[in-house]
Amino acid sequence: MITCGIDVGLENIKVLLLKDDQISARACGRSGGAGRSAAAKALWNDVLKSAELSASDVSKTVATGRGRKDVTFADFCVTEPIADAKAALRIYPKAVSVMDIGADQVRVIPLSEKNGTSQPAFNQKCSAGLGTLLRYMSMRLEMTLDDIGACAHNPAGGVTVNDGCIVFAELDALELLNQNTGREDVACAIIEAVVVRLNAILHDKTAPPKEGVVLIGGVAKNAAVVSGLKTRSGIDFIVPNHAEYGGALGAALLAAEN
Amino acid sequence: MAQEYWKWPESDRLSEDVDWRKAKKIVAGVDIGTTGSQAAVFCDGALYGSANISTGYDFKAAADCVMSRILEPAGMSLNDIESIAATGFGAGNVSYASKALDEVRCVAKGARFMFGPNVTTVVDLGGQTTKAIRLYDWDRVRDFTFNDKCATGMGRNIELMADILQIPITEIGEKSLMAEKDPEPVSTTCYSFANPETVGLFTQGFKEEHYSENDVLASYIFAVSWRILGTIGKLQPLDPGDFTVYGELAFTGGLAKNIGITKRLERELYKTALTSEYDPQLAGAIGAALLA
Repeated sequence: MITCGIDVGLENIKVLLLKDDQISARACGRSGGAGRSAAAKALWNDVLKSAELSASDVSKTVATGRGRKDVTFADFCVTEPIADAKAALRIYPKAVSVMDIGADQVRVIPLSEKNGTSQPAFNQKCSAGLGTLLRYMSMRLEMTLDDIGACAHNPAGGVTVNDGCIVFAELDALELLNQNTGREDVACAIIEAVVVRLNAILHDKTAPPKEGVVLIGGVAKNAAVVSGLKTRSGIDFIVPNHAEYGGALGAALLAAEN
Repeated sequence: MAQEYWKWPESDRLSEDVDWRKAKKIVAGVDIGTTGSQAAVFCDGALYGSANISTGYDFKAAADCVMSRILEPAGMSLNDIESIAATGFGAGNVSYASKALDEVRCVAKGARFMFGPNVTTVVDLGGQTTKAIRLYDWDRVRDFTFNDKCATGMGRNIELMADILQIPITEIGEKSLMAEKDPEPVSTTCYSFANPETVGLFTQGFKEEHYSENDVLASYIFAVSWRILGTIGKLQPLDPGDFTVYGELAFTGGLAKNIGITKRLERELYKTALTSEYDPQLAGAIGAALLA
């Protein structure tokens, strides 16, 4: 059986194809605004092409993410926490919690009860857009997201920016640049601020378990953020390859089940 | 490489009517902003050359680059210029300037040069700050207001939105005006709330109510204008008996090029803004040059 999961996020659309419970193809592209529906369809066609399949071969397509309703050709939609929980248990069957760090939203979903739908914790209103902040800083610093991820994480000493609000963090970063601080140091300060916020969200409702926490979402690809968060929270996260496809994987698995 | 929708085109120009080699006095102004940097060179009181670039991450390099965009094509050197004044957020990085001047004073001076001597309300719409300046019959600034902390980054916010929505930044204003009627604005508190909310409007639920891309942009730009209006409203009134009198109104800064914002502000203020042959972003640099 071939199923497809589509995760339409604030910045990117992720499409993943599952063939007999194995991942056979994946693709990622920009969401855009009004063109989101067409972008999802185009990406879906690309994935089918790369897997040498036709539309009729796919028995079910399931959409998730904040723009899931734009996927008009999907058989049904699932909410993000449900997809995240499903994906986490697939990535690591003994997982007890999953954290999804996206462009806009951050979610922590404990998996102990009802497959994680019981007590998800979201970002507090003022830590919205942590992934967007990283993207904006990459534009501003003229570094790729990978360059920023390669910055050595240095919490002791060095420069810092506001860790409460992304708007103020950016202003602080600009002030540092104005004082001719190197862009790598500014990137480190931004990463540190992101890590502080993420750690706060992680501890928002209950103390997180020390192991068995799966990290997914686009920001989980950022090595500096992940290592910083590991150090600060003391949790040894399980980070899969292609972490940004977490939601799409969950959707594809749910498509295969139903 | 993917198309960079968020970048505003850079520009530089030299006047063909002026020969700098015959000029008695050459002065220059440099405005290093958080988002854009501009320079202006004056020969005997006439604008000779101007340049407008994106600041990028290196403020020092931007300061050097913006000036060379005028000097190189003109065949001029820094020694030919009698006095150079720097202004803006990054003024401290203009190593070749002889003095640093206050932004508000420079923008006011520049606006009077660009829009005529009768300007009484100048609204400077920058990348990070929004400033409103009140002038009377004389050149001195009598009152000015800044954005509240949470209306910061209005210009930069639109850059980010252009990137997320994948719409060229130069088209956002016009598209927002194509909506038949402005829908309810998105959050007017903070752009980190407004941006995801705007993207969220593009769901099917929103489309079912017959909202198009233009309507969504209208809702977003309306919210941005709303915040700017709050800054203008705090200005000392021109006529203590009537708060709706703004005299001659002028918009400067990068967002003055966004017709969606200027048209909405004009509508709310019941006032048509003055127009100028110059790039509105040059106000700070022109003012600095005139005060140099």
